[in-house]
Amino acid sequence: MFATLLTLIGRRLLLSILILLLVSVLLFIVLRALPFDPAAMSLPPNATLAEIEAKRLEMGLNLPLPQQYLIWLSHVLHGDFGSSIQFRRGVLGLVTSTLPATIELAVLAMLIASALGLAGGLTLFHVRGTAKEPIMDLGTVVLLSLPEFLWALFLILVVGVALHWLPFTGRIDPNMRLPVTTGFLLIDSWIAGRPDIFKSAVEHLILPSLALGIAFSPAIMRVLRSSLIDVYQEDYIHLARLRGLGEKRILLRHALKNAALPTLSLMGVQFGFLFGGTLLVEVIFSYPGLGNLMVDAVRNADLPIIQAVGLTYCIVVLSINTVVDSLYLILNPKLRLR
Amino acid sequence: MPSRPLSFLPTWLRSARVLIGIAIVSAIALCAIFAPQIAPHDPNEQNLLSVFLPPVWMQGGDPAFLLGTDSLGRDVLSRLIFGARVAMLVAVLASFGAMIIGATLAYLAGYFGGRIDALIGRAVDVWMSFPPVILSLILMVGLGIGLRNVILAIVLVDWTRFCRVLRSEVLVIARKDYVAAAGLLGFSHWRTITSEIVPATIPLLITLMSLEMGVAVIVEALLSFIGFSVGAQTPAWGQMIADGRQYIYDSPWNLILPILAIFLAVFGFNILGDGLRRTLDVRVSAQRT
Amino acid sequence: MDMLIARNLSVSAALAERPVNVIENLDFSLAPGRILGLVGESGAGKSMIGRTVAQLLPPLFSVSQGELLFDGQNLVTMPADARRELLGRDIAFVPQEPMSGLNPVLTIGQQIDEHLARLQVGNRRTRHDRAVAMLDAVHLPRPAELLSKYPHQLSGGMCQRVLIAMAFASRPKLLVADEPTTALDVTIQARIVQLIAEMQRIDGTSVLFITHDLRLAAQICDEILVLYAGRVAEYGPAREVFARPRHPYTRCLQLSNPVMSGANRGLYTLPERMPGLQALSEMTGCAFASRCPVVREDCTTTPPPLVSLAPAHRAACRHSEATPGIVAPQPPVETAPSAAAPLLSVSNLGKTFRVGRGFFQHEDVAAVKSVNFDLNDNEFIGIVGESGSGKSTVARMLCGLETPTSGTIAVSGRDVTQGDTAARRHLRSYVQMVFQDPQSALNPRRRVGSIVTQSLEATGTGNHAARLARAQALIAEIGLPPEAAFRFPPQLSGGQRQRVNIARALCAEPRILIADEIVSGLDVSVQAQLLNLLLRLRRERGFAMLLISHDLSVVRYLCDRVLVMYRGEVVESGVTADVFDNPQHSYTKTLLAAVPPDDPATIWRPKTDSADGTLPVEDPA
Repeated sequence: MFATLLTLIGRRLLLSILILLLVSVLLFIVLRALPFDPAAMSLPPNATLAEIEAKRLEMGLNLPLPQQYLIWLSHVLHGDFGSSIQFRRGVLGLVTSTLPATIELAVLAMLIASALGLAGGLTLFHVRGTAKEPIMDLGTVVLLSLPEFLWALFLILVVGVALHWLPFTGRIDPNMRLPVTTGFLLIDSWIAGRPDIFKSAVEHLILPSLALGIAFSPAIMRVLRSSLIDVYQEDYIHLARLRGLGEKRILLRHALKNAALPTLSLMGVQFGFLFGGTLLVEVIFSYPGLGNLMVDAVRNADLPIIQAVGLTYCIVVLSINTVVDSLYLILNPKLRLR
Repeated sequence: MPSRPLSFLPTWLRSARVLIGIAIVSAIALCAIFAPQIAPHDPNEQNLLSVFLPPVWMQGGDPAFLLGTDSLGRDVLSRLIFGARVAMLVAVLASFGAMIIGATLAYLAGYFGGRIDALIGRAVDVWMSFPPVILSLILMVGLGIGLRNVILAIVLVDWTRFCRVLRSEVLVIARKDYVAAAGLLGFSHWRTITSEIVPATIPLLITLMSLEMGVAVIVEALLSFIGFSVGAQTPAWGQMIADGRQYIYDSPWNLILPILAIFLAVFGFNILGDGLRRTLDVRVSAQRT
Repeated sequence: MDMLIARNLSVSAALAERPVNVIENLDFSLAPGRILGLVGESGAGKSMIGRTVAQLLPPLFSVSQGELLFDGQNLVTMPADARRELLGRDIAFVPQEPMSGLNPVLTIGQQIDEHLARLQVGNRRTRHDRAVAMLDAVHLPRPAELLSKYPHQLSGGMCQRVLIAMAFASRPKLLVADEPTTALDVTIQARIVQLIAEMQRIDGTSVLFITHDLRLAAQICDEILVLYAGRVAEYGPAREVFARPRHPYTRCLQLSNPVMSGANRGLYTLPERMPGLQALSEMTGCAFASRCPVVREDCTTTPPPLVSLAPAHRAACRHSEATPGIVAPQPPVETAPSAAAPLLSVSNLGKTFRVGRGFFQHEDVAAVKSVNFDLNDNEFIGIVGESGSGKSTVARMLCGLETPTSGTIAVSGRDVTQGDTAARRHLRSYVQMVFQDPQSALNPRRRVGSIVTQSLEATGTGNHAARLARAQALIAEIGLPPEAAFRFPPQLSGGQRQRVNIARALCAEPRILIADEIVSGLDVSVQAQLLNLLLRLRRERGFAMLLISHDLSVVRYLCDRVLVMYRGEVVESGVTADVFDNPQHSYTKTLLAAVPPDDPATIWRPKTDSADGTLPVEDPA
């Protein structure tokens, strides 16, 4: 039974790797269709045509596309994503130094989205059939119509500019310095024994993660609500009542566990979207993560960074999906056991 | 059934949500179509003597500029009205394009199943492993800046929204015995799909279209916010937000008003989609950017 | 004192313009240790009574008058908390759909444990031991192992046993069993019914047994209450009601059921169907009057009183003396099938499904193994078997919906096994299918007129007017009113939809109909209408039919020959009367013994020797 579960999860993991390969092909094709010349751009502006031609040969740009892809892929597999055109340093280092900031933001946002989603979904389910239902339901449509970057701006306006409660630029107070251990400020500040930095990091995280969390919660609320409504139509709920079980117990032990399944698979998709949503939120809060790196790279046509960061986003999303699907397998005996 | 007012209308037109949605969307559409007639000023006309005017109901407002002016003294109301053109154009064209690609693949995958389904399913998996924002950004790098490419990018990113949801619906319908019966009675695959399957999915398609229009408005705003959409000469809501953000202390209204415009448009499409979903009895999971 | 007493009980629904009584003036009493059968067709309100006991009525339904006394306490007026205390403790329920009655994400052990914990049975350890003992008592094999299984790993029969074990865990005073065997195969049905009876005897439990099957009720109940449109039609001792029905409805119900022994008799067909809510609200007299064969003038003016006719035997009819005069029509004339070359010839037909399991592993599951038979013109052949026997897969292969993995199918001498375009066209011109579930078989967005002429549309035959004329002719032929052509399937009743289903297949003028379980899930009176319709159509048009059915009595009534399938193989075949009267194979014997006998005086002895504890074998299709 445990072995089958591992096999199934292993299968899911293999599928993710296959998808990742296809993703890298797609990424490669899209970026090779560019009207830029990567060789010319990786040289100083005063380079001669001969120098550019030599660079082209060196970079293998005269080879057929499939071969170019394989060369690029083998470099990537060796951890070599090339070097940034604008920063003149290794892309891998740039990505690994910004990724923790984005993950910190995304994880906190996911926690907020899940908490709001669970509370909202249960409340929506609770008020079904009452006079409050249409109003609350309209509320979710309103929430659903505000994307994360509008929430970000709105929170800056209200909490940051008007109320001066919380900071809204950067990751910590610009005067603070902290040695990098893991790259996660919330962890590093503990290691360094600096509660002041921890506090500052938390304060800087609140608004951006709140913007993301609020924006992605209504979808979770609605799916949880409708899954609960579906589950309550099932015979086993009716029969549990006929056995004399209390409503609270029916909800907690019988209904929620079943309603969690469709909610979980939606959350997988939503968290993938949420991770992409960090990009604009980072830009708006000048938060030094992957998103700002990406937007800078796009503005400067810094291809190696675009490729590497694009791939990183996909790896994270695929990991989220793999984890969610594995959880789904663990929670759903029908898929796990035959 | 007791007779009710408006009972001559089809059910879906009697829903308050649908009516609100239609009202908001058509108001914005009218603004877009008749922008030159409605707008009080040329949206690009600069008035450097009166920059950062607040809306007329605030202290210091000027009745000539109902919603105030921006950093270059341009009339915010006129820019909002002209901005609706970009938003509506993108909403209609992008969602239509995404629908055509996504729906076609969904019908093929759901009806034929097997290898075709697996192939299309993998393609969706690959697309879905890109966060939509990232993929549209990468596509914009590949395609180049401009409104036409924004529309193309949204189509190329969002076809999966249609494909995913519709495919599972088509799977359910394709398993119905009446689809098998059509084949036994001599219907070709093409005719079975068009006459037995497509009509059953129209409500879902309409609902998804409506929701997708909202998504397209958001994505366009987002891309023009980071400067990838229209040129500086064409007013767009996302661009106005980007401008307003720089002068957040000088004039918060320059930020608030375009945010409200985007919200209103997206809300209009969402409430319309939500109303249609309820009245046309479509099961569709709530989803967005 | 009686365990459950209903006095003048009415349940009303606020669905129409004014409230309608879906249960009206119900009176009965159930003594301790007795079984009361509530018998009726769908819509008679029998399940509503079960729900009234628990006071878990659907929205807009409520008890409008009367009382329902359990052990002297009125269930209707008692506080909700006190009633909840009774549920699962003194009053237990066994549901219709065992598979969906258990929570799919909790193990059997967890669910039993939860119930025992509520009954305050000791600690976890003693509860576990008690659970094992309970499962053992309902004859489930390896009970300790079963506790760690999830519901989907069990067959329907096993799930029902688990639910029965849970229901009897508290030694309840009253058990409400709502069609507990309807969703199960025939042989398992018999075992489950016997199990309920056995458990009931041990604990002295009173049982309210809700069923649509009059024959089954007569066999196992002490008393029977026949319900019609929420009203009591007849109430009395089970055998007495069955042997000497006093209400015309009971008599008609009995006569519309095909018999399992003796000479075939014709089926009595009641016209139309039970009045719906709207009709009930406008009704003044007897609810059955519109369909009653012995209706008199005074029947439609005032509702009939419940007349006492014999000790403890009552019927709601003023003219019950006319009831014995209702007799079955003449049996259908036997049409000799033509003995010329067979229309359809199946040899060594087999189908193996490939089921994936893990990496590069797969398992071949043989759904059908080597089936042989010939079908002659005008001949009706029945294939009987339980779920997983492969009978539906045979049907699908014959229509070309599945490709056989071995063997050949020849239609009118031409091999159509490999479904190339020409072969398919040939197949289509000879064979059409009538699907099992009319809800799924009819496109809800097409009008009936367009559905029945779909084969003309496919070939592009005729213009709109010509097709409409053809549709009208077909609709008249299957006995629907002309305006039905403009209706949509959801506006029709189940029986009407199945007629449309048949008409669509007939429009293509096939020589062979493949009919997959076309009367399952329909009420007996509607079933009788359809069976007689098929016989009439054969007389008028002449066609052969392959009828797939789990219902032996239907096959006995309709078919000239029968094939018995078991686990993908035909274990016995022959002329229907021979197979039914003198079965050779042990499976056929088990199958036949599982059906309750026609005469309740005959002792019913279903075979219960082989356990149903094996894992479910289902069509992978």
